[in-house]
Amino acid sequence: MSVLGRLAPPGSFLWLTRHEMRVAARGLRKHSFTRYLGYALIALYVAGGCVAAAALQNVEIRPWPAALTGVLTAAIVMMSFMTTQAVLHSQRTLYESGDLDLLFSAPIPGEVILRAKLAAIAGTVMLSFAILVLPVALPVAALGHPGLFGIPLLLIALAMLAACLGLAITLVLARIAGPRAARTVGQIVAALLGGALFLFSQFSRDHHGGRVEAVFESLEHSGFGSAGLSGIPGQAAFGDPIALFILLGLALLAFWIAGLVLERLFLRGFQDGGVRLSRARASGRPVRRHFRRTLFGTVFAKEFTLLARDPALAFQMLLRLIYLAPLLLAFGHGAEGRILLPGLALASVAVAGQLVGSLAWLTVSAEDTPDLLTVAPVDKAAIGRAKLAAALAMAAPVVVLLPIGLTFRTPAGALFTLLMTAIAGSLAGLIELKLGKPGQRKQFRRNRSGSMVAGLLGMVVTLTFGGLAAAGVYFIG
Amino acid sequence: MTIPALRVRGLAKSFDKPVITGLDLEIAPGELYALLGPNGAGKTTTLRMVTGLTRPDRGSIEIYGIDAAADPLAAKAITAWLPDEPMLYDKLTPSEYLAFVAGLWRLDPGAAAAEAERLMHWLELWDVRDTRCEGFSRGMKQKVALAGALIHDPRLLILDEPLTGLDAAMARAVKDALRDQVEAGKTVIVTTHILDVAERMADRIGIIAGGKLLAEGTLAELRAQAGADDVTLEDAFIRLTRTETQAA
Repeated sequence: MSVLGRLAPPGSFLWLTRHEMRVAARGLRKHSFTRYLGYALIALYVAGGCVAAAALQNVEIRPWPAALTGVLTAAIVMMSFMTTQAVLHSQRTLYESGDLDLLFSAPIPGEVILRAKLAAIAGTVMLSFAILVLPVALPVAALGHPGLFGIPLLLIALAMLAACLGLAITLVLARIAGPRAARTVGQIVAALLGGALFLFSQFSRDHHGGRVEAVFESLEHSGFGSAGLSGIPGQAAFGDPIALFILLGLALLAFWIAGLVLERLFLRGFQDGGVRLSRARASGRPVRRHFRRTLFGTVFAKEFTLLARDPALAFQMLLRLIYLAPLLLAFGHGAEGRILLPGLALASVAVAGQLVGSLAWLTVSAEDTPDLLTVAPVDKAAIGRAKLAAALAMAAPVVVLLPIGLTFRTPAGALFTLLMTAIAGSLAGLIELKLGKPGQRKQFRRNRSGSMVAGLLGMVVTLTFGGLAAAGVYFIG
Repeated sequence: MTIPALRVRGLAKSFDKPVITGLDLEIAPGELYALLGPNGAGKTTTLRMVTGLTRPDRGSIEIYGIDAAADPLAAKAITAWLPDEPMLYDKLTPSEYLAFVAGLWRLDPGAAAAEAERLMHWLELWDVRDTRCEGFSRGMKQKVALAGALIHDPRLLILDEPLTGLDAAMARAVKDALRDQVEAGKTVIVTTHILDVAERMADRIGIIAGGKLLAEGTLAELRAQAGADDVTLEDAFIRLTRTETQAA
């Protein structure tokens, strides 16, 4: 038996974790232009990291208070986003991965399956942060600052803790909300988790006169990140063995406890995931209510129903709403409290373009049964129009928020912004209608596929009409 | 002279390699026709070309005298297609799905709703009419899709492996329903791997292999073509397709 075979015998935690990693890696192996472009950018980034490392070789880097505060702030931000990602990945693991039937029917303890899945979630949520941080941190650490090898260990600890927390949130929500609502509630909680920190930082910044430096200085002076327990992440990042021992120990303990405590909830969540997701009993209302007189009405009703029942979409919409609130502060107030209404107008157009584009992708390009529409004796253009209308109707409540906000300052400017927003949103939908590439609905939460031309045109539309809206508000307001 | 329900002339399609090479087929109205063939013989490709889902490289398709290439909407209006993988929306209920299909075929809402209710009662979907399809078994999904195929009362019904996933009782009910359709003057084309089903149900059987129609006729005619009068359809099928495989 090979060394690897002895270390990770079939059915063991390590063996299953290796399998999970292999499956995840094969999911990444797509030979496309954007992927190779991504590799090239990472290579450039690594090269930049090496140059920075060479420049910093003889510079003293030590855990001074500002750096410790910075590390803790970064750790909190990362932990927040990692937990959001962990909730989403836990949902996919529970309801979509499709291999739990096989795993739970095999003679492997449920605890081992859960820990392997947790390890896979931790690995996945760590990946993007590792790509962002390690190409710089590792060369700097290797060239004269070995203490910074604590950074990858800090990332691992954070990812493990986030994975445990994300899975626990998902399972508890599934238990409380029930299998029918678990997915939607999970997506909403993930959006709130992801956006909460952003909201808090924006309001905190606003509280300090819009100055990020003032927020940071205030945190630093209060000893945040450098004193007591709050100093542990910073010390760990700078290679302090005790801080690293505490953090990794905590992460491993959470991992071990999660395996023990969450096993039953995990199994139950998985078993409930297979049950009916909508009402089991008929409503008693007449079937006739679903039948429409026109093709437009039929297609519109179907698309609107599907959009309204899409948990991933609930996540996206809520996230946009959360990010809209700080926009009112960020664009509404300048650094000296000046009113920057044109920025608000530009943001309105950008949000409309992005949101309608996403929704139109869902309705037009991510059609679940294109064959049914092809064999139907109908004009494809009429179907397209109805789908686009459904996307616009779904986006409208979010898209009108910023123009409504503008009416308090400049009613005429708000009206002009609304017009530009409506045109930009409609054009974004039309671009998807004409140039969209067929995709699968489940791709939406990751990265929806689309043509490069459509993407570029979308940007042109946003910049043109956003610019017009901003200029209009500037001159009118 | 009666207009054939389906007339296919010189149909050809290649993907990486030729799949259909000059297929001729004529099916009379009111006939239940079973299309058989080994895996990869081109059965589904043929039917997808007939329904307008795959564009033929050459050849012509007429459905009840309507040129499917020249007037596709008219041809589609009288045709129903039921693939082996049901064309369903997981997030819609059977009622909503049937309403959507009825809307695509522009049926009168009142009449379509009544027909939907009848189909859901018949296919034992009535109790789950307001349950989303995502939790359904394959057999249940197949039943919803079958209701969708029947709701617009098609003159030509094309079904690819229609009995997949159905339990014995429902498979019997579907077979009976298909015979009922034929007795009502409709034309039904099915592909199936279950030769026993073809043997019992079909008026005529076509065997497709190597991209062309290898043999066609009633069971007795196929036996004669296979060179033995006392064999089952399975034996005749194996003899005929083996000859083709050896020739290839």
